Amino acid sequence: MTTGLWWMMSKDLLCEISGKRSWPSMMLLGIVVAVVFALQAQLPQEQRNQMCGVLLWVTILFAGLLGIDRSCSSEQDDGCWEALLAYPVSPAAVYWSKLLVNVLSLTLLEILLIPAFGTFAGVRILNPIAAIVPLTFAANFGIAALGTLLSALTNRLGLSGQLLAVLVLPLMIPVILAAAEGTRLIALGRIDEEWWRWFQFLIGFALIFVTVGSILFEFVVEE
Amino acid sequence: MSISIASIEMRGLSKALGDRLILDGVDVRLHCGECVALTGDNGCGKTTLLRCMAAQMRPTGGEVCWFGKNVIDAALKRRIGMVSHESRLDPHLTIRENLIFAGRMCSVSRPGLRADHWLDVCGMSARADHRPKQLSRGMCQRISIARSLIHEPEIVVLDEPFSGLDAFGTKWLHNLLRERTAGERTVVFSTHDPLCAESLAGRVLHLADGRLQEAGLAATARYSCPANEAA
Repeated sequence: MTTGLWWMMSKDLLCEISGKRSWPSMMLLGIVVAVVFALQAQLPQEQRNQMCGVLLWVTILFAGLLGIDRSCSSEQDDGCWEALLAYPVSPAAVYWSKLLVNVLSLTLLEILLIPAFGTFAGVRILNPIAAIVPLTFAANFGIAALGTLLSALTNRLGLSGQLLAVLVLPLMIPVILAAAEGTRLIALGRIDEEWWRWFQFLIGFALIFVTVGSILFEFVVEE
Repeated sequence: MSISIASIEMRGLSKALGDRLILDGVDVRLHCGECVALTGDNGCGKTTLLRCMAAQMRPTGGEVCWFGKNVIDAALKRRIGMVSHESRLDPHLTIRENLIFAGRMCSVSRPGLRADHWLDVCGMSARADHRPKQLSRGMCQRISIARSLIHEPEIVVLDEPFSGLDAFGTKWLHNLLRERTAGERTVVFSTHDPLCAESLAGRVLHLADGRLQEAGLAATARYSCPANEAA
Protein backbone atom coordinates (compact mmCIF):
# COMPACT_ATOMS: atom_id res chain seq x y z
CA MET A 1 0.00 0.00 0.00
CA THR A 2 2.73 2.48 0.85
CA THR A 3 4.45 2.23 -2.54
CA GLY A 4 1.26 2.92 -4.46
CA LEU A 5 0.36 5.65 -1.97
CA TRP A 6 3.67 7.39 -2.53
CA TRP A 7 3.39 7.25 -6.33
CA MET A 8 -0.19 8.51 -6.32
CA MET A 9 0.80 11.43 -4.12
CA SER A 10 3.76 12.18 -6.39
CA LYS A 11 1.47 12.13 -9.41
CA ASP A 12 -1.03 14.51 -7.80
CA LEU A 13 1.73 16.88 -6.73
CA LEU A 14 3.30 16.75 -10.18
CA CYS A 15 -0.06 17.45 -11.80
CA GLU A 16 -0.68 20.33 -9.43
CA ILE A 17 2.73 21.88 -10.03
CA SER A 18 2.58 21.48 -13.80
CA GLY A 19 -1.12 22.18 -14.24
CA LYS A 20 -1.64 24.67 -11.40
CA ARG A 21 -5.07 23.25 -10.95
CA SER A 22 -6.12 24.69 -7.63
CA TRP A 23 -3.31 25.97 -5.45
CA PRO A 24 -3.03 29.47 -6.97
CA SER A 25 -6.78 30.13 -6.71
CA MET A 26 -6.85 28.67 -3.22
CA MET A 27 -4.00 30.88 -2.03
CA LEU A 28 -5.45 33.96 -3.68
CA LEU A 29 -8.91 33.45 -2.20
CA GLY A 30 -7.45 32.80 1.22
CA ILE A 31 -5.20 35.83 1.22
CA VAL A 32 -7.89 38.20 -0.13
CA VAL A 33 -10.54 37.07 2.34
CA ALA A 34 -8.12 37.08 5.26
CA VAL A 35 -6.83 40.55 4.47
CA VAL A 36 -10.33 41.94 3.95
CA PHE A 37 -11.48 40.45 7.25
CA ALA A 38 -8.40 41.68 9.06
CA LEU A 39 -8.47 45.22 7.73
CA GLN A 40 -12.22 45.74 7.94
CA ALA A 41 -12.58 44.59 11.54
CA GLN A 42 -11.96 47.95 13.22
CA LEU A 43 -12.23 46.59 16.72
CA PRO A 44 -10.39 47.05 20.00
CA GLN A 45 -7.51 44.62 20.54
CA GLU A 46 -9.44 42.51 23.03
CA GLN A 47 -12.30 41.94 20.61
CA ARG A 48 -9.92 41.24 17.74
CA ASN A 49 -8.27 38.53 19.85
CA GLN A 50 -11.72 37.06 20.57
CA MET A 51 -12.80 37.03 16.91
CA CYS A 52 -9.56 36.19 15.12
CA GLY A 53 -10.01 32.43 15.44
CA VAL A 54 -13.37 32.19 13.72
CA LEU A 55 -12.42 34.66 10.96
CA LEU A 56 -9.19 32.81 10.24
CA TRP A 57 -10.70 29.36 10.17
CA VAL A 58 -13.72 30.30 8.07
CA THR A 59 -11.23 31.71 5.56
CA ILE A 60 -9.14 28.54 5.66
CA LEU A 61 -12.25 26.39 5.22
CA PHE A 62 -13.57 28.21 2.15
CA ALA A 63 -10.17 28.48 0.49
CA GLY A 64 -9.27 24.92 1.44
CA LEU A 65 -12.50 23.49 0.00
CA LEU A 66 -11.44 24.78 -3.42
CA GLY A 67 -8.37 22.59 -3.33
CA ILE A 68 -10.08 19.62 -1.71
CA ASP A 69 -12.87 19.57 -4.27
CA ARG A 70 -10.41 19.90 -7.14
CA SER A 71 -8.40 16.91 -5.92
CA CYS A 72 -11.31 14.62 -6.74
CA SER A 73 -13.11 16.57 -9.45
CA SER A 74 -9.99 16.64 -11.61
CA GLU A 75 -9.99 12.84 -11.69
CA GLN A 76 -13.69 12.84 -12.55
CA ASP A 77 -13.39 15.53 -15.21
CA ASP A 78 -10.42 13.87 -16.85
CA GLY A 79 -12.11 10.47 -16.72
CA CYS A 80 -9.25 9.08 -14.68
CA TRP A 81 -11.15 7.65 -11.73
CA GLU A 82 -11.70 4.29 -13.39
CA ALA A 83 -8.07 4.11 -14.45
CA LEU A 84 -6.92 4.97 -10.94
CA LEU A 85 -9.21 2.45 -9.27
CA ALA A 86 -8.17 -0.25 -11.75
CA TYR A 87 -4.60 -0.25 -10.45
CA PRO A 88 -3.67 -2.96 -7.93
CA VAL A 89 -4.03 -0.71 -4.91
CA SER A 90 -6.77 -0.65 -2.36
CA PRO A 91 -9.36 2.14 -2.46
CA ALA A 92 -8.15 3.07 1.02
CA ALA A 93 -4.72 3.81 -0.48
CA VAL A 94 -6.35 6.10 -3.05
CA TYR A 95 -8.21 7.83 -0.22
CA TRP A 96 -5.02 8.28 1.79
CA SER A 97 -3.14 9.69 -1.16
CA LYS A 98 -5.86 12.31 -1.77
CA LEU A 99 -6.08 12.99 1.96
CA LEU A 100 -2.35 13.59 2.42
CA VAL A 101 -2.15 15.83 -0.65
CA ASN A 102 -5.09 17.84 0.72
CA VAL A 103 -3.40 18.11 4.12
CA LEU A 104 -0.32 19.41 2.34
CA SER A 105 -2.44 21.93 0.39
CA LEU A 106 -4.02 23.21 3.57
CA THR A 107 -0.62 23.42 5.26
CA LEU A 108 0.84 25.47 2.40
CA LEU A 109 -2.21 27.73 2.50
CA GLU A 110 -1.78 28.29 6.22
CA ILE A 111 1.95 28.97 5.94
CA LEU A 112 0.98 31.98 3.82
CA LEU A 113 -2.29 32.86 5.46
CA ILE A 114 -1.64 32.72 9.19
CA PRO A 115 1.31 35.10 9.31
CA ALA A 116 -0.49 37.47 6.91
CA PHE A 117 -3.66 37.38 8.95
CA GLY A 118 -1.80 37.84 12.20
CA THR A 119 0.07 40.83 10.80
CA PHE A 120 -2.92 42.61 9.25
CA ALA A 121 -5.26 41.86 12.15
CA GLY A 122 -2.63 42.68 14.77
CA VAL A 123 -3.14 39.44 16.72
CA ARG A 124 -0.39 37.26 18.14
CA ILE A 125 -1.35 33.79 16.94
CA LEU A 126 2.16 32.66 16.07
CA ASN A 127 3.30 32.96 19.64
CA PRO A 128 3.98 30.33 20.80
CA ILE A 129 4.46 28.56 17.49
CA ALA A 130 4.48 25.23 19.35
CA ALA A 131 0.76 25.77 19.97
CA ILE A 132 -0.50 26.91 16.56
CA VAL A 133 1.43 24.28 14.59
CA PRO A 134 -0.06 21.13 16.18
CA LEU A 135 -3.47 22.78 16.32
CA THR A 136 -3.49 23.53 12.60
CA PHE A 137 -2.03 20.11 11.80
CA ALA A 138 -4.83 18.34 13.67
CA ALA A 139 -7.48 20.61 12.15
CA ASN A 140 -6.04 20.05 8.66
CA PHE A 141 -6.39 16.30 9.03
CA GLY A 142 -9.97 16.65 10.20
CA ILE A 143 -10.93 19.02 7.39
CA ALA A 144 -9.11 16.97 4.74
CA ALA A 145 -10.45 13.61 5.98
CA LEU A 146 -14.07 14.69 5.84
CA GLY A 147 -13.64 16.91 2.79
CA THR A 148 -11.91 14.23 0.71
CA LEU A 149 -14.59 11.64 1.44
CA LEU A 150 -17.45 14.00 0.66
CA SER A 151 -15.72 15.40 -2.41
CA ALA A 152 -15.32 11.88 -3.81
CA LEU A 153 -18.99 11.20 -3.07
CA THR A 154 -20.30 14.35 -4.71
CA ASN A 155 -18.03 13.97 -7.70
CA ARG A 156 -19.18 10.42 -8.31
CA LEU A 157 -22.73 11.71 -8.19
CA GLY A 158 -21.82 14.39 -10.72
CA LEU A 159 -22.80 17.24 -8.43
CA SER A 160 -19.44 18.35 -7.10
CA GLY A 161 -19.52 22.09 -6.44
CA GLN A 162 -23.21 22.37 -5.70
CA LEU A 163 -23.59 19.50 -3.31
CA LEU A 164 -20.20 19.63 -1.65
CA ALA A 165 -20.81 22.95 0.08
CA VAL A 166 -24.24 21.80 1.27
CA LEU A 167 -22.80 18.60 2.75
CA VAL A 168 -19.50 19.84 4.03
CA LEU A 169 -20.36 23.05 5.80
CA PRO A 170 -22.68 21.64 8.47
CA LEU A 171 -20.38 18.66 9.09
CA MET A 172 -17.35 20.89 9.43
CA ILE A 173 -18.84 22.97 12.23
CA PRO A 174 -17.22 20.91 15.02
CA VAL A 175 -13.71 21.08 13.57
CA ILE A 176 -13.95 24.76 12.66
CA LEU A 177 -15.37 25.58 16.06
CA ALA A 178 -12.60 23.69 17.85
CA ALA A 179 -9.85 25.18 15.69
CA ALA A 180 -11.29 28.67 16.09
CA GLU A 181 -11.51 28.30 19.85
CA GLY A 182 -7.97 26.97 20.05
CA THR A 183 -6.70 29.89 17.96
CA ARG A 184 -8.65 32.38 20.04
CA LEU A 185 -7.04 31.03 23.20
CA ILE A 186 -3.58 31.30 21.62
CA ALA A 187 -4.28 34.94 20.72
CA LEU A 188 -5.32 35.54 24.34
CA GLY A 189 -2.16 33.86 25.56
CA ARG A 190 -4.10 31.08 27.29
CA ILE A 191 -2.47 27.72 26.50
CA ASP A 192 -4.28 26.07 29.39
CA GLU A 193 -6.58 23.11 30.05
CA GLU A 194 -9.27 24.56 27.88
CA TRP A 195 -6.86 24.82 24.95
CA TRP A 196 -5.80 21.20 25.47
CA ARG A 197 -9.43 20.05 25.45
CA TRP A 198 -10.03 21.72 22.10
CA PHE A 199 -6.77 20.24 20.76
CA GLN A 200 -7.78 16.76 21.92
CA PHE A 201 -11.17 17.27 20.31
CA LEU A 202 -9.45 18.03 17.00
CA ILE A 203 -7.28 14.92 17.32
CA GLY A 204 -10.36 12.80 18.04
CA PHE A 205 -12.30 14.31 15.11
CA ALA A 206 -9.40 13.66 12.77
CA LEU A 207 -8.95 10.07 13.96
CA ILE A 208 -12.65 9.31 13.60
CA PHE A 209 -13.03 10.73 10.13
CA VAL A 210 -9.77 9.34 8.80
CA THR A 211 -10.96 5.89 9.93
CA VAL A 212 -14.46 6.42 8.53
CA GLY A 213 -13.02 7.68 5.25
CA SER A 214 -10.62 4.76 4.91
CA ILE A 215 -13.48 2.30 5.34
CA LEU A 216 -16.20 4.03 3.37
CA PHE A 217 -14.17 5.32 0.42
CA GLU A 218 -14.38 1.99 -1.38
CA PHE A 219 -18.17 2.12 -1.32
CA VAL A 220 -18.29 5.77 -2.25
CA VAL A 221 -16.28 5.30 -5.45
CA GLU A 222 -17.56 1.94 -6.65
CA GLU A 223 -20.33 1.74 -9.24
CA MET B 1 -4.40 -25.95 -27.45
CA SER B 2 -4.40 -27.34 -23.92
CA ILE B 3 -7.26 -26.45 -21.65
CA SER B 4 -6.21 -25.74 -18.10
CA ILE B 5 -7.81 -24.04 -15.11
CA ALA B 6 -10.25 -21.35 -16.09
CA SER B 7 -8.70 -17.89 -15.98
CA ILE B 8 -12.15 -16.31 -15.71
CA GLU B 9 -15.32 -18.08 -14.72
CA MET B 10 -18.68 -16.40 -14.29
CA ARG B 11 -21.62 -18.21 -12.74
CA GLY B 12 -25.05 -16.66 -12.78
CA LEU B 13 -23.58 -13.16 -13.03
CA SER B 14 -26.08 -10.36 -12.68
CA LYS B 15 -25.58 -6.63 -12.60
CA ALA B 16 -28.20 -3.98 -12.09
CA LEU B 17 -27.58 -0.27 -12.42
CA GLY B 18 -30.36 1.55 -10.65
CA ASP B 19 -33.54 -0.29 -11.51
CA ARG B 20 -32.25 -1.51 -14.85
CA LEU B 21 -30.99 -5.08 -15.09
CA ILE B 22 -27.97 -5.00 -17.39
CA LEU B 23 -26.71 -8.55 -17.01
CA ASP B 24 -29.02 -11.40 -16.17
CA GLY B 25 -27.47 -14.72 -15.23
CA VAL B 26 -24.33 -14.74 -17.38
CA ASP B 27 -22.41 -18.00 -17.39
CA VAL B 28 -19.06 -18.25 -19.14
CA ARG B 29 -15.70 -19.89 -18.68
CA LEU B 30 -12.53 -18.57 -20.31
CA HIS B 31 -9.24 -20.46 -20.35
CA CYS B 32 -5.61 -19.45 -20.54
CA GLY B 33 -4.50 -18.63 -24.05
CA GLU B 34 -8.06 -18.12 -25.25
CA CYS B 35 -9.05 -15.13 -27.33
CA VAL B 36 -12.71 -14.30 -27.08
CA ALA B 37 -14.64 -11.61 -28.90
CA LEU B 38 -17.73 -10.10 -27.35
CA THR B 39 -20.34 -8.61 -29.64
CA GLY B 40 -23.69 -7.03 -29.06
CA ASP B 41 -25.82 -4.02 -29.84
CA ASN B 42 -25.06 -0.60 -28.40
CA GLY B 43 -26.14 -0.39 -24.79
CA CYS B 44 -26.52 -4.14 -24.33
CA GLY B 45 -24.04 -4.28 -21.45
CA LYS B 46 -20.74 -5.23 -23.07
CA THR B 47 -18.78 -2.64 -21.12
CA THR B 48 -20.48 -3.69 -17.89
CA LEU B 49 -19.63 -7.35 -18.53
CA LEU B 50 -16.03 -6.54 -19.39
CA ARG B 51 -15.62 -4.41 -16.29
CA CYS B 52 -16.96 -7.25 -14.14
CA MET B 53 -14.44 -9.56 -15.85
CA ALA B 54 -11.65 -7.08 -15.13
CA ALA B 55 -12.62 -6.89 -11.43
CA GLN B 56 -13.51 -3.23 -11.80
CA MET B 57 -17.17 -3.61 -11.01
CA ARG B 58 -18.84 -5.61 -8.31
CA PRO B 59 -21.71 -7.79 -9.59
CA THR B 60 -25.15 -7.55 -8.06
CA GLY B 61 -25.58 -11.30 -8.10
CA GLY B 62 -23.74 -14.45 -9.07
CA GLU B 63 -20.04 -15.02 -8.86
CA VAL B 64 -16.89 -14.19 -10.77
CA CYS B 65 -13.75 -16.27 -10.23
CA TRP B 66 -10.29 -15.48 -11.52
CA PHE B 67 -7.86 -18.41 -11.56
CA GLY B 68 -10.22 -20.21 -9.22
CA LYS B 69 -10.45 -17.39 -6.67
CA ASN B 70 -13.38 -15.06 -6.10
CA VAL B 71 -11.63 -12.48 -3.93
CA ILE B 72 -10.38 -9.28 -5.53
CA ASP B 73 -7.06 -8.20 -4.06
CA ALA B 74 -3.99 -6.34 -5.25
CA ALA B 75 -2.27 -9.55 -6.34
CA LEU B 76 -5.23 -10.47 -8.53
CA LYS B 77 -5.53 -7.01 -10.04
CA ARG B 78 -1.88 -7.20 -11.02
CA ARG B 79 -2.73 -10.16 -13.26
CA ILE B 80 -5.43 -8.24 -15.12
CA GLY B 81 -5.15 -5.41 -17.59
CA MET B 82 -8.13 -3.50 -18.89
CA VAL B 83 -8.32 -1.15 -21.84
CA SER B 84 -11.33 1.11 -21.73
CA HIS B 85 -12.96 2.49 -24.87
CA GLU B 86 -11.84 5.94 -23.67
CA SER B 87 -8.12 6.38 -23.20
CA ARG B 88 -8.40 7.96 -19.73
CA LEU B 89 -4.83 9.14 -19.75
CA ASP B 90 -3.94 11.78 -17.22
CA PRO B 91 -3.90 15.02 -19.22
CA HIS B 92 -1.41 16.70 -16.91
CA LEU B 93 1.28 14.06 -17.47
CA THR B 94 3.23 13.33 -20.63
CA ILE B 95 2.51 9.97 -22.23
CA ARG B 96 5.84 8.67 -20.94
CA GLU B 97 4.92 9.81 -17.43
CA ASN B 98 1.53 8.14 -17.80
CA LEU B 99 3.25 4.84 -18.66
CA ILE B 100 5.79 5.18 -15.87
CA PHE B 101 3.04 5.89 -13.37
CA ALA B 102 1.15 2.81 -14.51
CA GLY B 103 4.32 0.74 -14.23
CA ARG B 104 5.01 1.98 -10.72
CA MET B 105 1.46 1.34 -9.59
CA CYS B 106 1.73 -2.23 -10.90
CA SER B 107 5.11 -2.72 -9.20
CA VAL B 108 6.94 -3.13 -12.48
CA SER B 109 10.71 -3.18 -12.10
CA ARG B 110 12.46 -0.42 -14.02
CA PRO B 111 9.25 1.33 -15.09
CA GLY B 112 11.20 3.93 -17.06
CA LEU B 113 12.81 1.30 -19.28
CA ARG B 114 9.53 -0.53 -19.68
CA ALA B 115 7.77 2.69 -20.62
CA ASP B 116 10.43 3.41 -23.25
CA HIS B 117 10.02 -0.13 -24.60
CA TRP B 118 6.27 0.28 -24.95
CA LEU B 119 6.62 3.69 -26.52
CA ASP B 120 8.81 1.99 -29.09
CA VAL B 121 6.27 -0.79 -29.58
CA CYS B 122 3.56 1.85 -30.12
CA GLY B 123 5.80 3.80 -32.50
CA MET B 124 5.48 6.86 -30.28
CA SER B 125 9.02 7.30 -28.94
CA ALA B 126 9.37 10.63 -30.72
CA ARG B 127 6.32 11.92 -28.87
CA ALA B 128 7.28 10.69 -25.41
CA ASP B 129 7.15 14.21 -23.97
CA HIS B 130 3.79 15.06 -25.49
CA ARG B 131 0.69 15.34 -23.37
CA PRO B 132 -2.45 13.43 -24.37
CA LYS B 133 -4.22 16.53 -25.65
CA GLN B 134 -1.43 16.99 -28.16
CA LEU B 135 -2.12 13.60 -29.67
CA SER B 136 -4.88 12.19 -31.82
CA ARG B 137 -7.47 9.81 -30.43
CA GLY B 138 -5.85 6.84 -32.11
CA MET B 139 -2.47 7.68 -30.62
CA CYS B 140 -4.01 8.03 -27.16
CA GLN B 141 -5.71 4.70 -27.67
CA ARG B 142 -2.39 3.04 -28.44
CA ILE B 143 -0.82 4.51 -25.31
CA SER B 144 -3.84 3.42 -23.29
CA ILE B 145 -3.32 -0.13 -24.58
CA ALA B 146 0.37 0.06 -23.70
CA ARG B 147 -0.50 1.30 -20.23
CA SER B 148 -2.74 -1.70 -19.64
CA LEU B 149 -0.11 -4.16 -20.83
CA ILE B 150 2.96 -2.63 -19.23
CA HIS B 151 2.83 -5.07 -16.34
CA GLU B 152 2.35 -8.11 -18.66
CA PRO B 153 -1.04 -9.18 -17.28
CA GLU B 154 -2.29 -12.72 -17.77
CA ILE B 155 -5.82 -11.54 -18.51
CA VAL B 156 -6.32 -8.69 -20.96
CA VAL B 157 -9.77 -7.16 -21.27
CA LEU B 158 -10.28 -4.62 -24.04
CA ASP B 159 -13.41 -2.55 -24.58
CA GLU B 160 -13.71 -1.71 -28.26
CA PRO B 161 -9.95 -1.40 -28.66
CA PHE B 162 -10.08 -0.97 -32.43
CA SER B 163 -12.23 2.16 -32.30
CA GLY B 164 -10.23 5.23 -33.22
CA LEU B 165 -7.35 3.25 -34.72
CA ASP B 166 -6.27 3.74 -38.29
CA ALA B 167 -5.28 0.84 -40.57
CA PHE B 168 -1.73 0.79 -39.21
CA GLY B 169 -2.98 0.90 -35.64
CA THR B 170 -5.53 -1.84 -36.29
CA LYS B 171 -2.89 -4.12 -37.76
CA TRP B 172 -0.55 -3.28 -34.89
CA LEU B 173 -3.19 -4.21 -32.31
CA HIS B 174 -4.12 -7.33 -34.23
CA ASN B 175 -0.52 -8.56 -34.05
CA LEU B 176 -0.21 -7.53 -30.42
CA LEU B 177 -3.27 -9.52 -29.40
CA ARG B 178 -2.11 -12.55 -31.36
CA GLU B 179 1.19 -12.38 -29.46
CA ARG B 180 -0.69 -12.22 -26.17
CA THR B 181 -2.71 -15.35 -26.83
CA ALA B 182 0.33 -17.18 -28.19
CA GLY B 183 1.90 -16.47 -24.81
CA GLU B 184 -0.93 -18.31 -23.01
CA ARG B 185 -2.65 -15.13 -21.98
CA THR B 186 -6.40 -14.72 -22.01
CA VAL B 187 -7.73 -11.95 -24.20
CA VAL B 188 -11.29 -10.72 -24.22
CA PHE B 189 -12.33 -7.84 -26.42
CA SER B 190 -15.55 -6.27 -27.55
CA THR B 191 -16.12 -5.17 -31.09
CA HIS B 192 -18.84 -4.19 -33.52
CA ASP B 193 -16.89 -5.62 -36.44
CA PRO B 194 -17.89 -9.25 -37.04
CA LEU B 195 -14.98 -9.81 -39.43
CA CYS B 196 -12.50 -8.66 -36.81
CA ALA B 197 -14.17 -10.89 -34.25
CA GLU B 198 -14.06 -13.96 -36.47
CA SER B 199 -10.52 -13.37 -37.71
CA LEU B 200 -8.92 -12.74 -34.34
CA ALA B 201 -10.97 -14.63 -31.81
CA GLY B 202 -11.19 -18.34 -31.22
CA ARG B 203 -14.69 -17.88 -29.84
CA VAL B 204 -17.32 -15.21 -30.35
CA LEU B 205 -19.87 -14.48 -27.66
CA HIS B 206 -22.95 -12.40 -28.31
CA LEU B 207 -24.60 -10.43 -25.52
CA ALA B 208 -28.31 -9.80 -25.87
CA ASP B 209 -31.04 -9.17 -23.31
CA GLY B 210 -28.46 -9.50 -20.55
CA ARG B 211 -27.45 -13.02 -21.54
CA LEU B 212 -24.51 -14.49 -23.40
CA GLN B 213 -24.81 -16.75 -26.41
CA GLU B 214 -22.07 -18.34 -28.38
CA ALA B 215 -22.39 -16.59 -31.73
CA GLY B 216 -19.89 -18.38 -33.87
CA LEU B 217 -17.04 -20.84 -33.86
CA ALA B 218 -13.67 -20.26 -35.36
CA ALA B 219 -11.80 -23.07 -37.08
CA THR B 220 -9.78 -23.67 -33.93
CA ALA B 221 -10.62 -25.87 -30.95
CA ARG B 222 -13.98 -25.53 -29.24
CA TYR B 223 -13.82 -24.56 -25.57
CA SER B 224 -16.15 -25.66 -22.87
CA CYS B 225 -18.94 -23.26 -22.05
CA PRO B 226 -21.76 -24.06 -19.61
CA ALA B 227 -24.33 -22.57 -22.01
CA ASN B 228 -23.18 -24.90 -24.75
CA GLU B 229 -23.01 -27.89 -22.48
CA ALA B 230 -26.59 -27.24 -21.41
CA ALA B 231 -27.61 -27.01 -25.05
